[in-house]
Amino acid sequence: MMHYQTEERGRPNTTDYRIYFKTTDGKYISPFHDIPLFADDEQENDVPLKKFKKNENEVLFNMVVEVPRWSNAKMEIATKEALNPIKQDVKKGKLRYVANVFPYKGYIWNYGALPQTWEDPNHTDRDTRCGGDDDPIDVCDIGSKVCSPGQVIQVKVLGVLAMIDEGKTDWKIIAINTEDPDAPVLNSIEDVRKNRPAHLEATVDWFKKYKVPDGKPENRFAFNGQFKDKDFALEVIKSTHKHWRALVLKQAKAGEINCKNLSVCESPFKCDDEEAGAVVKSAPAQK
Amino acid sequence: MSFTIEERGNPNTQSYRVFFKNAEGKYVSPFHDIPMYADETQHIFHMVVEVPRWTNAKMEIATKDPLNPLKQDIKKGNLRYVANVFPHKGYIWNYGAIPQTWEDPGHKDSDTGCCGDNDPIDVCDIGSKVCSRGEVIKVKVLGVLAMIDEGETDWKVIAINLEDPEAKEFKNIDDVKRLKPGYLEATVDWFRRYKIPDGKPENQFAFNGEFKDKDFAINTIKVTHGFWKALISQQTNAGGLNCKNTCISGEDSSFCCSSDEAKTVVEATCPCGNEDSIPLTVDKWFYYANN
Repeated sequence: MMHYQTEERGRPNTTDYRIYFKTTDGKYISPFHDIPLFADDEQENDVPLKKFKKNENEVLFNMVVEVPRWSNAKMEIATKEALNPIKQDVKKGKLRYVANVFPYKGYIWNYGALPQTWEDPNHTDRDTRCGGDDDPIDVCDIGSKVCSPGQVIQVKVLGVLAMIDEGKTDWKIIAINTEDPDAPVLNSIEDVRKNRPAHLEATVDWFKKYKVPDGKPENRFAFNGQFKDKDFALEVIKSTHKHWRALVLKQAKAGEINCKNLSVCESPFKCDDEEAGAVVKSAPAQK
Repeated sequence: MSFTIEERGNPNTQSYRVFFKNAEGKYVSPFHDIPMYADETQHIFHMVVEVPRWTNAKMEIATKDPLNPLKQDIKKGNLRYVANVFPHKGYIWNYGAIPQTWEDPGHKDSDTGCCGDNDPIDVCDIGSKVCSRGEVIKVKVLGVLAMIDEGETDWKVIAINLEDPEAKEFKNIDDVKRLKPGYLEATVDWFRRYKIPDGKPENQFAFNGEFKDKDFAINTIKVTHGFWKALISQQTNAGGLNCKNTCISGEDSSFCCSSDEAKTVVEATCPCGNEDSIPLTVDKWFYYANN
């Protein structure tokens, strides 16, 4: 299992703050493009689609945690910056903090992204009938432990919610940290429904309302806000993984997305350690 | 009137204490020396904040210790952290006590049918600001909930920080229903279920769990103030309670405490040090269906 380290630059709670990612050898990587989607994928990324076919019940994914449960700072993988560090979202010139929508305090799960996935804005999803939101696919980890921004954990996928956020497809994968004591007994969205029904209902409610304090309307959902099961979720992940591959192979329009990476062999955006090092050095010093 | 705190020991350990001082730097008891009223004519009360909103450490006025500092409650030898009962995270208001009040265990309340819980009266501040431990704020009382916690009367006053930007809009309990819909329901829900993760049953309430209004609340507070007066003037047996204070009783009272004696009390505790981390188990979210 791969382990990753982070390197903070700038000061937390400022617009300078960045969290860069490194391998244990100290080599800088992109959490968007270089962390394998599959948790047990030690080698370089070639022909990973086969993974979906064998032993799907045991497929585990890497998740990049952006926002710890119960916190408010809207931390995100910076898709338009080189090496895609985590940074705090800025809206109208101000650092963005997600509102506490009663009865919730901040985010109600550890929230983040699956690496090597991309919701293509030029692809109209047939279920939501909207183009993608131009980001990696989002994940909600319902495990007990409160993780930290930049932490990479292994998760079991349980289901998915089809949100339409401001008119864009924005799937929300429901998953659980494999290290959670309940992970062995949670294998499907049905299990979550039986074990902790309130959390699923709260999830839809949260996503529906979380932007209302900022003056935005309630969000909508495909499938009437019903959660789809694990198999459906795996198909969605497969699709966004394909779109990502097209992106880094320059077969899809990147727009402003920065595709610099260290590990995708055939990618025209592949760079070397020296270039990666230079990117990080040019970021404001820590603290 | 302003108050400051002096921390002793290490937060999140059994040594942690929060002592109180008045504006002149004199140690005071938050139970006995801080006046109940901040403004009697306007019915503005002082509140001693014990637990900041969204935290879990069960901090309490130590009613049995001299000078009654805040300390973390201990149950079965372990520091007590209140559970997160889904969808709630820790306490859902700033929680604390009104000074110079006491729920007398020798008195059976006619509404709840139970005796008092031997503590100052509890108060929930529904204001926006997350206060700090030991902060003394001024609150407007809006109503009260008649909880029966493990068979003891345990009133929960609902109030709002006078400095809250919306404080002017809140005049009575109905304003809470109107301006913060769901908050009162969540409050009953929280108190009903918060001890279930510890293996205790659901709590009960008088008046079917309905909130009584401001006048009822103020009257309830006044009754507990009466009990406290009887306590501090030794008309009621204190039991294990420590009534030492620096501002109230006469020089010949056994409860009177000189500045020197107060200093000795404080200095007998561990010097202020680094905080311990909170156990990871405190982050667990408990899922129980509402009945």
